[in-house]
Amino acid sequence: MTTEQFLLSAWNWNPRVIAVSAATILAYSLRYRGHFSRRIGWLLAGLAVFFLTLASPMDALADGYLFSAHMLQHLLLLLVVPPLILLSLPPVTMHGRSQNGRWKWVNWIVRRPVAMWCLGVGGMWLWHAPTLCNAAVTNGWIHRLQYVSLLVMGLAFWWPILGPWSRQRLPPLAGIAYLFSACLGCTILGIILTFAPVEVCSIYLHPIDRLGILPLVQNQWGLTPAKDQQMGGLLMWVPACLIYFSGIIGLLARWYGQANDEALVSELEPNATLIGETHAD
Amino acid sequence: MSALASPSVEIETPEATSAPRGLFGWVATVDHKRIGILYLLTALVFFIVGGVEALLMRIQLARPNNTFLSPGAFNQIFTMHGTTMIFLVVMPTLFGLANYLVPLMIGARDMAFPRLNAMSYWLLPFGGLLLHFSLLAGGAPAVGWFSYAPLSETQYASTHGVDYWVLALLILGVGSVATSINLIATILTLRAPGLTIRRLPLFVWMIFVNSFLVILAIPALNAAIVMLFIDRNLSTHFFSPTHGGSALLWQHFFWAFGHPEVYIMALPAFGIISEVVPVFARRPIFGYEFVAASTVAIALLSFGVWAHHMFAVGMGHPIDLFFAASSMLIAVPTGVKVFAWSATMWGGSIRLTTAMLFAIAFLIQFTIGGLSGVTFAVVPIDWQVTDTYYLVAHFHYVLFGGTFFAVFAGLYYWFPKMTGRMLSERLGKLNFWMALIGFNTAFFVQHFLGLMGMTRRIYTYPDLPGWGLLNLISTIGAFLLGAAVLVLLWNIVVSLRHGQPAGDNPWQAWTLEWAATSPPPAQNFDRVPPIRSRRPLWDLAHPERPDPDVGGPTSRDEFAPEKNRVSMVTFLISEGAFFVMLILAYLYYNNHTMDGPTPASMLNAKRTGIFTFCLLASSLTIWLAERKLEAKKHAAFRWLLALTILLGTVFILGQGQEYLHVFHAGVMVNSNLFATTFFTLTGFHGLHVCVGLIALLIVMGISLAGDFKQGRNEAAKSIGLYWHFVDAVWLVVFSVIYLRLLL
Repeated sequence: MTTEQFLLSAWNWNPRVIAVSAATILAYSLRYRGHFSRRIGWLLAGLAVFFLTLASPMDALADGYLFSAHMLQHLLLLLVVPPLILLSLPPVTMHGRSQNGRWKWVNWIVRRPVAMWCLGVGGMWLWHAPTLCNAAVTNGWIHRLQYVSLLVMGLAFWWPILGPWSRQRLPPLAGIAYLFSACLGCTILGIILTFAPVEVCSIYLHPIDRLGILPLVQNQWGLTPAKDQQMGGLLMWVPACLIYFSGIIGLLARWYGQANDEALVSELEPNATLIGETHAD
Repeated sequence: MSALASPSVEIETPEATSAPRGLFGWVATVDHKRIGILYLLTALVFFIVGGVEALLMRIQLARPNNTFLSPGAFNQIFTMHGTTMIFLVVMPTLFGLANYLVPLMIGARDMAFPRLNAMSYWLLPFGGLLLHFSLLAGGAPAVGWFSYAPLSETQYASTHGVDYWVLALLILGVGSVATSINLIATILTLRAPGLTIRRLPLFVWMIFVNSFLVILAIPALNAAIVMLFIDRNLSTHFFSPTHGGSALLWQHFFWAFGHPEVYIMALPAFGIISEVVPVFARRPIFGYEFVAASTVAIALLSFGVWAHHMFAVGMGHPIDLFFAASSMLIAVPTGVKVFAWSATMWGGSIRLTTAMLFAIAFLIQFTIGGLSGVTFAVVPIDWQVTDTYYLVAHFHYVLFGGTFFAVFAGLYYWFPKMTGRMLSERLGKLNFWMALIGFNTAFFVQHFLGLMGMTRRIYTYPDLPGWGLLNLISTIGAFLLGAAVLVLLWNIVVSLRHGQPAGDNPWQAWTLEWAATSPPPAQNFDRVPPIRSRRPLWDLAHPERPDPDVGGPTSRDEFAPEKNRVSMVTFLISEGAFFVMLILAYLYYNNHTMDGPTPASMLNAKRTGIFTFCLLASSLTIWLAERKLEAKKHAAFRWLLALTILLGTVFILGQGQEYLHVFHAGVMVNSNLFATTFFTLTGFHGLHVCVGLIALLIVMGISLAGDFKQGRNEAAKSIGLYWHFVDAVWLVVFSVIYLRLLL
């Protein structure tokens, strides 16, 4: 099989992925009908990444062939899809629903950034314990649980930075520290994966060649298991940090773009878009 | 000052006021201005030392097959030149300027911790003397400023030079971290009313960001040199490959420090330029926000690019690829800055003072150095030119043509503030042109030498076509540069005596330091002018068209943390970085089987688990103790504190018992790499527990003396924080070492 054939044929039209995407768009349109904005672009981008992660040949490669493809899926689900979805939500003023009893516990949790941080970074570490990493590849249910948990932990992690309730967001300097320390957490894991002489996810050492692409991957692309794990570690180390880093740049842009008294503005115009986000649009 | 009187604001009173006069007054001072000047003078002395070393090397290299210096002496001199210039000249100079200027620029009376500040300074001469003491103790280190293992191990470097190098760097590192913690606490807690973080002068902002770089990067160096020291003095094998160690790990550790270090030396220089260029272009800085944000970007990226120093060691294509990309990326925020400075000058009415000339030269030379730096990010080019004179030319363009020229600009700019007298512009211009021509003559030709294949750190070279001539040109340039420094010294001496009186604000500058007298009084300001923009003195001088009111206080971005807490948190961040390195080393060496003792054969995870439980319980007790203290229940506080101390003691005794058990089995720190890493990691943790216990005892003493009754309980809170940290580190250490045995 050539690279081209593989890229064309290995699509996985997973009905669950399509259903989830469609349901999300539907729910979003119903919830925010009336005040539609360009924000939906973020949602569509997020769903496109979601779809590509789970339906494109990347998924086929991650399914037992390449640790690095699996890592890429991880990063996209944890660090790219959730922030894009959060960006698509219009800002909510504090006096709205958050005070309701029903949402109190959410409110309580999201006001603890240390917990959010642990979810986001811990999620990354947890799924790379060798046992869990292998189990996720062999067992379909654990596999799905992994995807869902990554998305949820990603949402939790990005909430204090991009969440729609601006009052729950971290102050800029704290936000920078939050993201930078997460980057360090990722870096350390990336370093361990890159330089670890032992195989983290042993299942990828001897792939079962269901699709007949092993020669393509190992010989033509030159991705031997050793190189593959190195690539995986490096993905976690360098590009993952660059995503956090982009978050930091976004925070700085929002901060420096802010007018002198944000509280005043948002009280005067409750329906106005958030000040910082006019720059992101 | 009368103009400032009416709407100005009171500032906080200093913690420690000035004391004795005369020479002893300088020794005993805790005044940030005097400490700043001491830093600068010490750096100047070492600058002369390092400069003479450079000239000795240039004499040796002036012609082929020269015998002026022996190979051994040459090795010692280039090592001392590099170490001196980086740790004893550039860093102290920048700390000195920061010390002098930061409190003035933020309208404070002193640093947050004046006595800590004095200690940080005095570690500098101690470290410097210790390093140079090696000359009397068998010879200076001769292994280069990055001491690559295994060359720096005892079998290849048998004199005590490297040991002195390690000890000196440790002492200097402690001083640097302490200064940085102090600067962070000062900037976060002592800003004058109205001076929000978004209005900070860019110099202060960059010092702020830079201080985080220091507290995170220096521990990586400290961890590495501690391991090297253990290797050399306890015959262990962290870094000697013949016994299973890894020389490559030294390179990783060193450059994990070394690359941020490059920016530690560059960011303050960027700060100086960001102050000097706008003042002499008579325009506010173009794109303040971009300059400020790109500083953060540079600082963060600098931690992710170190492996580009190691392209030639064969890390494999994937690693090279990723680091080539990230290294090129860091040029972007740097480029943003260069554009911002250029755009500030564009259309300004430029005053070509000496300070401005140095700043403009900085801009050009730093750009050249930056561009040759980008070429090193291209892996195949790096393979060709790494460790040649092309590299030497590159980093001298960054550090001399960049940082030093910025420091000269800053010196001409702030000298009037520090002394009350102007430096002579006539001598200044002479100084500038000699430095400019000398520097470029000395180092530009080295690009060609490098491309022709002349490697760095060779004591002599064969008479190949062109080499002799280019080296001679370089030597002539170096001597011209040396002469330029003499002119600067002469200028300082003459101007101190006969210089024109400066007045408060000779350059019509806009930041707060120019509102004080020159030199400022001990308390800096009696009152600070009102601050409504980024240029308070502009607003004062031009009330009819003040600067736009930007970056004012918003509801959420101005937080004023308590200074003891800030200092403890930043200290713990630094400590955390140190432990991360030790833990990574443990993981790295214990991931494969080896001969000799193993964790499974030596350690009892269950018993240690019980002691671990004691330590974790002590975190709970100290938390409860703090709550009792807040509720003013002093007796309950003391009981809980005593319980904490007891639990900590039980833990440390348990550790001692484990050590004894291991010793009885005949295992010593040098038995194998498991033993080495185990003792290093748990030993450092144990040391921290002991320090924590002593601190808790002190808190107990304070409590018994009744000092907490006045409601000042920051000490208890800070030590509590430290204790939680020690416990958290142990949790990680326990999982890394012991938990794997249980699973």
